[in-house]
Amino acid sequence: MIPQERFRNFCIIAHVDHGKSTLADRFLELTHTIDARQMTSQVLDSMDLEREHGITIKARAVRLHHTARDGETYALNLIDTPGHVDFTYEVSRSLQACEGAILVVDAAQGIEAQTLANVYLALEHDLVIIPVVNKIDLPSAQPELVVEELENVLAIPREEVILASAKEGTGVADILEAVVQRIPPPGGDPAAPARGLIFDSHYDAYKGVVAYVRLAEGTLHAHEAVRLMASGAESELLELGVFRPQLVPVETLAAGEVGYVATGLKSVRDCQVGDTITSAERPADSPLPGYKSAQPLVFAGIYPINGPDYPLLRDALEKLHLNDASITFEPESSVALGFGFRCGFLGLLHMEIVQERLEREFDLDLIASAPSVEYLVTLTAGRGEVRVDNPAELPGPSDIEQIAEPWVRVKIVTPNTYIGTLMELAKLRRGAFQSMEYLDQTRVLMQFELPLAEVIVDFYDQLKSRTQGYASMDYEEIGYRPERLVKLEILVNGEPVDALSMIVHREDAQAQGRMLAERLKKLIPRQMFEVPIQAAIGSTVVARETIGAMRKNVLAKCYGGDITRKRKLLEKQREGKQRMKRVGQVEIPQEAFLAILRTDEGS
Amino acid sequence: MHVPFCLSLCPYCDFVVYAGRSARGPAARVGDYLAALAAELDLRADALDASGVGARPLRSVYLGGGTPSLLPPAEVARLLDQVRRRFGIEDGAEVTLEANPGPDERGDLTGFVAAGVTRLSLGAQSMEASELRRLGRRHAPGDVLAAVAEARRAGIGSVSVDVLYDVPGQTEATWRHTLGVLLDAGVDHVSAYALTLDDPDAEGLTGPLGDHLPTRPGARAWRERARAGQDDDRAAELYLLADELLARYGLQWYELSNWARPGHASRHNLAYWHHDAYEALGPGAHAFDGGPLRRWNAARLDGYISALLPATPAATSTLSTASAASAASAASAATAAPAEGRTRDASPRLPPGGEERLDPATFAAEEAMLGLRLAEGIGPEIAARPAVARALDWARGHGLLEDGEGGRIRLSLRGRLLSNEVFSRIA
Repeated sequence: MIPQERFRNFCIIAHVDHGKSTLADRFLELTHTIDARQMTSQVLDSMDLEREHGITIKARAVRLHHTARDGETYALNLIDTPGHVDFTYEVSRSLQACEGAILVVDAAQGIEAQTLANVYLALEHDLVIIPVVNKIDLPSAQPELVVEELENVLAIPREEVILASAKEGTGVADILEAVVQRIPPPGGDPAAPARGLIFDSHYDAYKGVVAYVRLAEGTLHAHEAVRLMASGAESELLELGVFRPQLVPVETLAAGEVGYVATGLKSVRDCQVGDTITSAERPADSPLPGYKSAQPLVFAGIYPINGPDYPLLRDALEKLHLNDASITFEPESSVALGFGFRCGFLGLLHMEIVQERLEREFDLDLIASAPSVEYLVTLTAGRGEVRVDNPAELPGPSDIEQIAEPWVRVKIVTPNTYIGTLMELAKLRRGAFQSMEYLDQTRVLMQFELPLAEVIVDFYDQLKSRTQGYASMDYEEIGYRPERLVKLEILVNGEPVDALSMIVHREDAQAQGRMLAERLKKLIPRQMFEVPIQAAIGSTVVARETIGAMRKNVLAKCYGGDITRKRKLLEKQREGKQRMKRVGQVEIPQEAFLAILRTDEGS
Repeated sequence: MHVPFCLSLCPYCDFVVYAGRSARGPAARVGDYLAALAAELDLRADALDASGVGARPLRSVYLGGGTPSLLPPAEVARLLDQVRRRFGIEDGAEVTLEANPGPDERGDLTGFVAAGVTRLSLGAQSMEASELRRLGRRHAPGDVLAAVAEARRAGIGSVSVDVLYDVPGQTEATWRHTLGVLLDAGVDHVSAYALTLDDPDAEGLTGPLGDHLPTRPGARAWRERARAGQDDDRAAELYLLADELLARYGLQWYELSNWARPGHASRHNLAYWHHDAYEALGPGAHAFDGGPLRRWNAARLDGYISALLPATPAATSTLSTASAASAASAASAATAAPAEGRTRDASPRLPPGGEERLDPATFAAEEAMLGLRLAEGIGPEIAARPAVARALDWARGHGLLEDGEGGRIRLSLRGRLLSNEVFSRIA
């Protein structure tokens, strides 16, 4: 048994590609936690998708047994954190489970916006920071500059900085030594009523929800009855253990320890990140601070391209939800897209990942409607407020007193040559410039306030393309603000097309409407009559296009006596007609909707 | 009778055509083909006789292609004699020969008349040199006029021209010019076809037993480019212009793409639209027994020749009789399926191909669709069938129909241009 004072709980804060996973791999090797021969590269990122996106989506943890230079063996719990802005809340819970953090900065790239955000988060949790400048082996490395940046921006004394190359193993032992020396052991009375922070979980078909726990106080025993303090769920622990990195059962987990508990619970909803686990027999008085249930920020309709796949999509969402309680979904139907689900996500990346997982792991072809945020709509005559995340469900204009939308503070770190173009981008997106400070002679930290709706569309892509990929960003919610928002509807031959409705700022409505109408004109086949396409706010038309009536559809060619071929070509036309969706009198191929929604994503 | 040879290939054409060395010179396949055609003619007549239907005298004969005018008149005469012997040809029957207008293609028209040809169908396509070049045609506008004059001198009583509209770069002026020059030359019949750039590969027609040959890569690229130069609105305008101009010269509209002076409507093509029976010979040719059986020959010349001329060296070339038989039996509908063990038999067999039996609903739908292509339209008994009546109600609501004599119904001028919208609604 390793005593509490020789426990160290820490995480690694790093920007994508700055070397977090490689460093973690070196720790595993150096502490013989995993044999070098067994190493697949980057053990901690266990999902394929994570490897492709180069990020860690779900936190993982591992316990390392390390003999330090003082000859003692320490138990080091490395808690991996998600590296993306969509998962800020998950990051904060992981940080709460630690006493220290290794800050990894790429020696060639310097500090990025996201790293900065996470360091501030770590400092808020009183974590000890161990600064590491990584990749010093790169020809383009400028460790001196980065050390200076750390000093200027984060007031980190240069003598604390460890220069390392995780790839080559340089400095890795020093980092482990710093973990032992600089990070304090966890506190907490093992005899107090148990309080454990859930910082992650996964669903196991045999063990139910397996929660990843940091015990703040008390002790948990195998087969003990436990309670989740926020959800109220109770169950008997089937098993508890530690991460080596595979799950290894133990008899008890005591204050300061990090491990897992197999709860037998059937749904991660009962055991969400941030909840506090306690003993059912001898419960704690109050939960650990900071819990909030996962709040989706981005919403979209997800539809199977093949209608009959709808039940498969439902099953798939239910299965994913077992592991990821932050996904919300409820049935929705659309004239254009048929039956699907309105889904909520933590952010755009989360949405992209979920959609990819649905397509890849469940073999589904999906189409998503344009992403939306959740609006706060104040009704007239004091009838209260409603939340609307689907533009098609917005009440009529006469029922609306005001519409408020979520705003975010966006932090951008960029080379100073791009200041102008980023100012312009923010302005285009209704943003307000807040501040700018120089991180070093060429890099700046810019802060803007922007409506979230403007950030989720393609702000990140724009940021990357306008800065040749050099800028990084991070955002945090700063609450709702009333704005001049309107519902823009697209009417085809006078009938609104539900899937294309959107909530936009009044000043952008005309431009958006014109773009959509022009695109639809190209995508909707000609009908027997002239078809007006209008973009309208209530009864005010802000853009209009007209599709001329069909004039020619004739098999005029001579096919000799080959009537069979003529008939088959007609049959194909008939099948095409049968697959059409009807909006009023107008027949529109589903492909047209798919095309417009897809170009939306890319534009 | 399909004659699958041309001097060169036109990129828009997807009829069964062999060109270049196959068409002329020492390696030409024409001789084998003619022998095989004669053999098929006998087998088809035998089959009809054996079925009890009997080979009946023909009201029309059509030598299409390809370029049948490349055949020596003596061969045409021999073929028509054989037809007369096995089927009979009615007195005053229409005997059409398709010809290309070029001096090296149109052949000896006097000789063809002597062989029994009564009608000439000329592939004029356009009277604008630039459009002809764009279409990959060998001939010049003057060749068409020369061919018409020659046909008249040879005593051909009915001269028809094919022309194309919706050609990339075509304008109202060039179309007016094309039609005007041909009408001034006194043609009796005009077939105006919209340039249609199909993809028989995508339609699944070009397999080993398909009735079309695979599209050549060059033709595929040409079609993709040409499609970009087509325009439905312009096509509709050109069609309306043609209808007006042709009527002014006394050519009446009688089928979607066909106009003729009184008495010059193509009796052969009318048989297709009237759902009459027709025999068909040659690779890719389609026959109909009047209901319910449609059948066709596969497109490939090797398979065609080796089945019909098993003793010739061609029989052992690319498609052996054995593989032809197995390929044929692999198809859902195949006419040539000789029994195992007969593959070495030297007697001619029917060529590979396919067939389709129309169920009563399809037959009835076809009858309505084909009838509606014609100016005479369909009679009340066809129009009243529920599957047809629904489509007609819809069409009437959009102004696509007009009433003819005796309760007959036909397409309006607008309806002709939108005929597929009507036809594809007939279930």
